[in-house]
Amino acid sequence: MRALLLVMLVVSLPSQADLEYRLAPRQVAPDTYVFEGSTENFSRANGGNIVNTGFIVTEAGVVVIDTGPSLRYGRAMRQAIGLVTDKPVVQVLLTHHHPDHALGSQAFADVPIAALSATRELLGEEGDALAENLYRLVGDWMRGTQVRLPDQALEPGVRVFGSHSLRLMAFSGHSGADLAILDERTGVLFAGDLLFYQRALTTPHSPGLAVWRKQLEQLQATPWQVLVAGHGPVARDAKPFVQMLDYLGWLDGLLRESAQAGLEMNEVIATPIPPRFAAISLTRYELIRSVSHLYPQYEQAVMARVDR
Amino acid sequence: MGRVPLLLAMLLCAPAFAVDPGPDPVPSVMWEFYRQQWLMDAPYQFDARVRVIAPPFAEDARQVPLQVDARALPGTVQRILVWAELNPLPKIVDFQPGPQVLPWLAVRIRIEQATALRAAVLTDDGIWHVGSTLIDAAGGGCTAPSVVRSEAGWEERLGQVLGARFPREDFSRLRLEVSHPMDNGLVGGVPEFYIEHAELRDAQGQVLATLELFPAVSENPNLSFDLRRAEALRLSLRDNNGNTFDAAID
Repeated sequence: MRALLLVMLVVSLPSQADLEYRLAPRQVAPDTYVFEGSTENFSRANGGNIVNTGFIVTEAGVVVIDTGPSLRYGRAMRQAIGLVTDKPVVQVLLTHHHPDHALGSQAFADVPIAALSATRELLGEEGDALAENLYRLVGDWMRGTQVRLPDQALEPGVRVFGSHSLRLMAFSGHSGADLAILDERTGVLFAGDLLFYQRALTTPHSPGLAVWRKQLEQLQATPWQVLVAGHGPVARDAKPFVQMLDYLGWLDGLLRESAQAGLEMNEVIATPIPPRFAAISLTRYELIRSVSHLYPQYEQAVMARVDR
Repeated sequence: MGRVPLLLAMLLCAPAFAVDPGPDPVPSVMWEFYRQQWLMDAPYQFDARVRVIAPPFAEDARQVPLQVDARALPGTVQRILVWAELNPLPKIVDFQPGPQVLPWLAVRIRIEQATALRAAVLTDDGIWHVGSTLIDAAGGGCTAPSVVRSEAGWEERLGQVLGARFPREDFSRLRLEVSHPMDNGLVGGVPEFYIEHAELRDAQGQVLATLELFPAVSENPNLSFDLRRAEALRLSLRDNNGNTFDAAID
C-alpha cells in the first residue's frame, strides 16, 4: 500500500509542477518589460502561453498590458512583476477581447481594468464561448478561469502615469476593437494583435483585410522605437510591419483571385504558401481558418443574382 | 462435409460480382449501420480514387467546405451519396450527375462533432466505391441557432440565387449560393424547413443532374458543379414546404 502511494505521489508530482508558466520578464526599454510567448498554437503543453503581454513600471505604479490566457497566467504575471518592483499594479489595459489576451484578468480583480467600450461588449457577448474553447484546447491550465469584464471604458487619447504618457489609439482591423498603446517616453509600441511577427495572423473577427492594412500603415507612421507585436519577437526595426503588410496583401490577393477563378474553399486552402513566408509559423493552419472567415465575402463579390 | 464441397458451396452462394471491400481507411463505429441502410447488400469497396476533401478541422462547424471528386473512377458514375457519420442527421446529398456533368461536387455542410465523412459512388457496374476522410471539430454545428433567421428581412430574400460560371480548360464550373435557412428541426421551436430537391436542366429542358439535399447542408446552400459544356442552364429548387425557386444561367 505504501509503495503504491509513493508511486502515485511520484507520478502526480511532475504533472502538478508542469502547469507552471515560468514567466520571465524581459526589459525592452527603460521601465518597460515584456513576457514573450511562443509562436506556437494553443496546446496542453504550453497552456496558451503563445501571447505577448507586458508592463510599465511608472512612478505612479505599474501599468499592465493584457492579462494572458488564464487565471493561472495572470497570477504568474503578478508574481513575476513583484520580482521586478515593489510598486503596486495600478492599471490594466486590454488591447482586445480575444481569450489569449484577456482571460487572466481575474488575477487583477483589485485593479481597474480598462478597454475600448466595444472590446467590453465583444467580451461580454463572446467571452464565455471563447473561454470554453480554450478549456478544450489547453485543458487544466484554465482551471478556475472565468471571463472578467473590463470596468473602465477607454477613449482614444493620452493617459499619463508618472512620467509615462501613453497614447491610446483605437483601431478595428484584427478583432473589431483593437487598442494600440504608444509610450511617448520610451517609444515602445504595444500593437496588440494588429501586429503579428513570425506567426501567421488570425482573422476570426476582422472587418476585412483592406481595413486592417490601412490601419497598419497608420500605426507604422507613429513615432515608435520598439515594436511589441501581440505574437512574435520584439523588434527595433520595421520588419514586423513589412512582413505583416506583405502577408496581408498576399492573403487578400489570394482570396480575391481564387474567387474570380471560381475555386471552392478546399481548393483555396490547398494553395501553396509562398516560400518567403516559410519562417512564419502556422501559415497553413491560419489559412484554413481565414478561408472560413473571409472567403464568403469574396465569393459573393463575383456572383450575380440569377433567380427568375 | 469435406473441404472442397464447402468451398464450392461458398462460391455458389456468393454473388457473381462480389468484390473485396478492403480495409476501412478511417476508424468508424457507424459504417456498417449506414452501409446496411443505404447501400444494403450491394457490393462495395473502400476506394481511394473517390476523394472526399475537407479541412482537417472545422473552423466553423455550421459551414464546413466539403468536396467530393470521383473523376478518377473508370466507368460511368450514376449516383453519389454523401454523409457525415456522427451527425444526428447524417445524410448530406444524393447526387445523380448525367453524362454532361462531371462526378464532382462541392458543398458546405454542418457537423455536430468530429466525424468520418463518406461518399459512396455507384458506377454502372453496380459497385459502390466509398471514399472517406476524417474531420475534427469543437462541435455544435447542427444545433447552433440559425444565422439567417437573425438577419432582418431574410424572408424577402428566401430563394434568391447568386450564381456565376467559371471557364476551365476542358469543362465549365458553375457556382451557386441560395438564400435559405435550411432549418434541420434540431433548434428549439423551429421545425424542419429546407431545400430538398434541385435540378439542373439545359435550355431545352433536358435534365442534366439532380441533387437531393438533406438538412446537413448548411444554411444558404453553397454548391459547385463542373459541366462538360458552358451551355445555358436552368436551375429549379424545391423546399419541403413546397416552395419552388428557379434560376437561369446563360
